[in-house]
Amino acid sequence: MNRRHLLNSLTGLAMGALVTPEIAQAAGQMAAGSAQGLDWSLAFADLDADAPPTPMQRTSGTCPQGLAGSLYRNGPGRFRRPGGSATHWFDGDGLMRAFRIRGGEASLTARFVDTAKRRADSAAQAVVTPGFGTAPGPGAVIGTNDDVNAANISVLPMGEDLWALWEAGSPTVMSAGDLSTRGVKTLRPDLAHMPFLAHPRAEPDGDIWSLGVLGDRAVVWRLGRDGTLLSAEVIDLPCASYVHDFSATERRLVIVLQPMIQDHPGLPYIDGFAWKPKEPTRILVIDKADLGSRRIYELPAFFAFHFGSAWAERDGTIRFDACVSEDASFATRGARELLKGVWTPAPPPALALITLSPGGQARLERSPVVGEFPRNDPALSGWPRTLTIHATADNGGPLFHGLATHNWRTGQSDAFDFGPAHMVEETVFTPRPGGAGELDGWLLAPSVNLAARATELHVFDARHVADGPLCTWRAPLALPVSLHGAFVAA
Amino acid sequence: MTRPVQTSRRPLGRLALPLGLAAALGVVALARAATPPATGPGPAADQEGTPAAGESTLTVTFQGIKTPSGAVMASLSSSPEAYAGKAPPTAQATAAVTGAAVTVTFAGLAPGTYALRAFHDLDGDGRLNTNPFGVPTEPYAFSNNARGGFGPAKWEAAAFTIRAGENRQTIDID
Repeated sequence: MNRRHLLNSLTGLAMGALVTPEIAQAAGQMAAGSAQGLDWSLAFADLDADAPPTPMQRTSGTCPQGLAGSLYRNGPGRFRRPGGSATHWFDGDGLMRAFRIRGGEASLTARFVDTAKRRADSAAQAVVTPGFGTAPGPGAVIGTNDDVNAANISVLPMGEDLWALWEAGSPTVMSAGDLSTRGVKTLRPDLAHMPFLAHPRAEPDGDIWSLGVLGDRAVVWRLGRDGTLLSAEVIDLPCASYVHDFSATERRLVIVLQPMIQDHPGLPYIDGFAWKPKEPTRILVIDKADLGSRRIYELPAFFAFHFGSAWAERDGTIRFDACVSEDASFATRGARELLKGVWTPAPPPALALITLSPGGQARLERSPVVGEFPRNDPALSGWPRTLTIHATADNGGPLFHGLATHNWRTGQSDAFDFGPAHMVEETVFTPRPGGAGELDGWLLAPSVNLAARATELHVFDARHVADGPLCTWRAPLALPVSLHGAFVAA
Repeated sequence: MTRPVQTSRRPLGRLALPLGLAAALGVVALARAATPPATGPGPAADQEGTPAAGESTLTVTFQGIKTPSGAVMASLSSSPEAYAGKAPPTAQATAAVTGAAVTVTFAGLAPGTYALRAFHDLDGDGRLNTNPFGVPTEPYAFSNNARGGFGPAKWEAAAFTIRAGENRQTIDID
């Protein structure tokens, strides 16, 4: 073998070793996307600095009369630093966005949550703070879990404040006015640093419930609408599941415990879990008035990040919706690959209805509808309802490019598909002033327009989604795609 | 099946810990190791009652205190085992907190390698309080201002040399 032959062989070997099926597939997708001028990685790009308030341009329609207020949205906004980067979508710095609608026009501003994690990573010029799927880097400083709190999942408006929520640490309080960070919220001194999930359940005109989970124990938080702590009790769980969300009826908490089980210590966090498909998904139902009164249902294994609010029927049957996947691979793999510009097609989550019968039986019915980020009319949270708002439509790429409402009574879906140029974020409902009945109002759906390379905000009539947006505004910049939001009417 | 929330000091007897709370394993060890019986400030003897042998002194200034109440409790060890709470410390000291800084002095020390851990006992109950999941709710610190990564600072990071005569450490706490 001469030298040239040897070099050619080595080059071939090296190339063969480097081009994994995922990279080949991603290259193919990116090439196809590029042909259309679309690059979905824009939705996972970094925002380098806070975005000052900027008017949005109305590109179509008119703002509905009576719609005014602020849509706050949270989600990871910066992933990469010179000395090392986050390796999971869920580990970017919390970025609070405010879409403000006033006088028929809209503006957009965004500000990073000033967390200990962000300060530490900024000083190190590297993401050294560990997270959901990112390993610790050299010099990581961790005194308590709030030192790694990214405050990057959701937002809970609380009067003049916003609580930026993570799930394994305290809420972080921000000003709703200028989005400045006030600091970590300690609900009671002896409960400092206790985890607080990113999906609290607010009763219509009632209390706010949340959980914080550690292994097979959970703290059950009950707050007044002004954020006052009413009670906190620690309960035992039947297994150490990964819990991101839960549900609730008027009188009960419904906690889904999927067989994504924490069975060994590990960092990053998700690496301490194992998917155990032979184990059931357990559903723990607890009386709000007596947390010791409980019942456990079982279903074949499924994975879900999110659930709709539950309701109880006259005979005691409990129903709630879930966005179910076959396994936890998006949490363990898919959301990591996103930051590398790689997407391995996987079956999208399906909208499903779970029924818990008084006799102890549980049933899960998968609809044919692709669904994630379920929301409902907040006036009916915990009460019987027919409609679920959700993201939908996928084309084999990451996330979704449409939104819909699903009617559980008729099985009908009222959907609008923006097409692959848009990555549509979670949709939030706000009632029409003086409106009556379920979903009498508007849907607020931001998207990252990949073709225009801009963040947009679309307003829909919640009862006529398929008619398309009533109004669309476009910002002169593209923010990374966000996770969860809340609207505060003016 | 349910328990009202109370300040908890029971170690986490669990293998699996969520994000960030893995710190609890090491930190609860810290709680055990850094929780000395209340003693007066200044020279101290170890738990066996054996006077520390030597002529060196160590003056430690704790600064950056945000809450001027309670006491700083410090535990000085001369071995990784004692530092980890698996053997008695060399000496312990307590100093009442009335301002933004407080000083404790250890006397009669033999020259050598030591490490110190301390906590600010805000409520004066003599213990490092933890939340129900075992995470400290009172400030704590280590010599060299060493910081831990999911737990107490390592011995190697907190270890320092005490030489003959007077020695000083300044530690940020709170």
